[in-house]
Amino acid sequence: MQPDVQLALQLSGVTINVGGEPLLGPLELSLVVGDHLLLVGPSGSGKTTLLRAIAGLGNVTGGVMHVLGQKVHAGPNSLISPQDRGVGLLFQGGALWPHMTVRQTLDFVLTASKVPRKERKQRREKLLELVELKGFDKRSVPTLSGGEAQRLALARALATEPGLLLLDEPLGPLDQDLRRGLLKSLDALSKELRLTIVHVTHDENEARSLANAVARLDKGKLEITQTDSSGSSSTHDPAPEPSREGDESA
Amino acid sequence: MKSKRSDPLFALAIGALILFGLAPLIVMGWRLVNASEALGVLKDPRVMSLLGRTLGLGLSAAALAGLLGAPFGFLVARTKLPLGKLLGALGLLPFLIPPLLLATTWTQVTGLRGAPMTALLIGLSTTPIVALFTAKAAGRIDARREEAALLAGGRPALFAMEWPLIAPAVMAGCAFAFLFAIHDFALPDYVSSVGPKFNVFADEVFAVWQVDQDAPEAVATAIPLVLMTLAALLPALVLMRRGSMATIEGNFEAPKPLDLGAGRWPAFLFCLGFVVLGAGVPLGRLFWEAGGGPQGWSQVALGEAFAMAFELGRDDLRHSILFAFSAASLAVPLALVLGHRAERGGRTARFGLPLLVLLPLAVPAILYGIGTVLLWNRGGGFELIYSSGVLVVMMIIGRFLCFPTLVCQSGVASLNPELEEAAQLAGISPVKRLLRVVAPPLWPSLAGAWTLIFVLAVRELDAAVIVPAAKQTAMYRVFNAVHFGHSNYVAALSLLVIFVVILPGLLWALFSKRRMEILP
Repeated sequence: MQPDVQLALQLSGVTINVGGEPLLGPLELSLVVGDHLLLVGPSGSGKTTLLRAIAGLGNVTGGVMHVLGQKVHAGPNSLISPQDRGVGLLFQGGALWPHMTVRQTLDFVLTASKVPRKERKQRREKLLELVELKGFDKRSVPTLSGGEAQRLALARALATEPGLLLLDEPLGPLDQDLRRGLLKSLDALSKELRLTIVHVTHDENEARSLANAVARLDKGKLEITQTDSSGSSSTHDPAPEPSREGDESA
Repeated sequence: MKSKRSDPLFALAIGALILFGLAPLIVMGWRLVNASEALGVLKDPRVMSLLGRTLGLGLSAAALAGLLGAPFGFLVARTKLPLGKLLGALGLLPFLIPPLLLATTWTQVTGLRGAPMTALLIGLSTTPIVALFTAKAAGRIDARREEAALLAGGRPALFAMEWPLIAPAVMAGCAFAFLFAIHDFALPDYVSSVGPKFNVFADEVFAVWQVDQDAPEAVATAIPLVLMTLAALLPALVLMRRGSMATIEGNFEAPKPLDLGAGRWPAFLFCLGFVVLGAGVPLGRLFWEAGGGPQGWSQVALGEAFAMAFELGRDDLRHSILFAFSAASLAVPLALVLGHRAERGGRTARFGLPLLVLLPLAVPAILYGIGTVLLWNRGGGFELIYSSGVLVVMMIIGRFLCFPTLVCQSGVASLNPELEEAAQLAGISPVKRLLRVVAPPLWPSLAGAWTLIFVLAVRELDAAVIVPAAKQTAMYRVFNAVHFGHSNYVAALSLLVIFVVILPGLLWALFSKRRMEILP
């Protein structure tokens, strides 16, 4: 079936193995452009594994996966490499490159994305402004605080201009004030960039205000537990009603 | 994380491994297959006695290295030992001093030769390997684990908790000590050149080759030694893996130095004693000989000896440095590619690749040298390589590539794979990921791998006695000279060789703030 172009993510019967053992699936999920899904579940339920599989870093063994209108997985075959899926991933611990400065980190990604030299500086400054790290260019990664590092990781994930942003416990290591600040940044960003977000968290209440759907992953199964009135996320219907944002864009 | 698009780089590295490391073995194996009657040499009753002697030598040397190296490594790395850091650095010297020079000096000092002396000297020479393995494992025990053990039952509980974590590393170090012991040719050859003969397999392989240049017989003779080596290498690989996995956890908190209480000074004396025996005595003896020795020591004689050593050995020293520098500089990039694939490439690569790079080390050095000669001594265009230093560099890379590969594999294992995955998602190419994301944090490991190859290359003698261009090295000149008696010039040249061996480590210690990682 040809997926709806407004669908940002569609999982149809996707199964995922870890260490040769089946861990997840079969999973059904559809998100339209602009959706913000909170993914919750007990420790070890496979939330990170699912994010990694969507990004192309996990071991998908069956089913079909579409990302931003492209079929990226069919059965166990990866059809599109991770870097070509239009996906950004904010890793749980940040996974920043410790030997680089803030500027080098972003330039490294922008160069790889073939951003012309003339535009690079402008793009870098915009990204730093977005994550409130303006003036941090020359700071090396190990000197950043937990919140600053997490915001740089977010800027890096956004540098490739992804259509689908995957957040793996982005608030995990932060204190209360920083959590609030980053949540605010995320909210602004998702609206400004019209991002579709899958957001793994263990604190559902905290991030609930940002999301229009909540899905629970437990014992290998995915279940939508809440959607707002216009919520479009579905774990069953592969061709859902478009969301409010989707309607607007249409 | 598999990186299929890095295949061209990987293919290049595997190609180099096959050409430099495995091809000599394939040639030797092929010769044996075509002359299977050579296996008849294994029926010689002498084989069993050679096997017993070599096994005995290996086990005694490894046991001594373990007995000295494990406490030494733990004490200098983990306790408040007086001058602990200095002793730790000086404790490496017995390994850096070429074994032949340990032999020439200690036999002169004590007059002892034969089997016990051979085992003692190889044990001393390989003790730093066990000490390094021990120190690394002991330094990776989380502080909170130690504190929990101390609270539970004081120091006895602490040691009881730590030993199982350190033991695999100690055993791996002993396995490598065993390996160096059973493959050493020059030291047993020198120690038993006077007095009671103590033949080992490495000697026998060389003798068989020298008598009638019969390659199949030399290969057949070496088969028990190869099996013995594999029997030591395979557990070493498993133990290294277990040792490194057992002590690493997230949020690692470095352990604090332990108070030795009343045992502080005995521990200091033990460590000092090892440094004196392993490095002080040989270096002191060489200085004494270089300054005139029995004829009376003088500064003038010392200056003259060094001047003569420079004059006569300048070209050999230059060759030694050039070969070692080239081999180390070429081997490290290859090792980075292979080590990275071994760590990130799945189960088969994780065990198969290290095994493949270790194969050239599993055959006696002499046999490996013979294989290299047979492979390249074909006349025509091959002559250019055969007669030049290129062959020496290729031989060193092929034989020792396993060490930097294991060091790099271990370094990559300590890197969070997400650093590479983040780069992959950002569209960074596999080559750039390797060079810009993986390599920079591994700088201490890469420098350590480079230094290790450099040291082994300058020390190399066992395979070099076969390859023509390797006879232009300083170590070979010393090897030849010591068989014709001792002179102050030979002692001075030996000191220069030792200086060259320790130079990279010295420079690193002087100019880098980070610790060099020279172990897997």
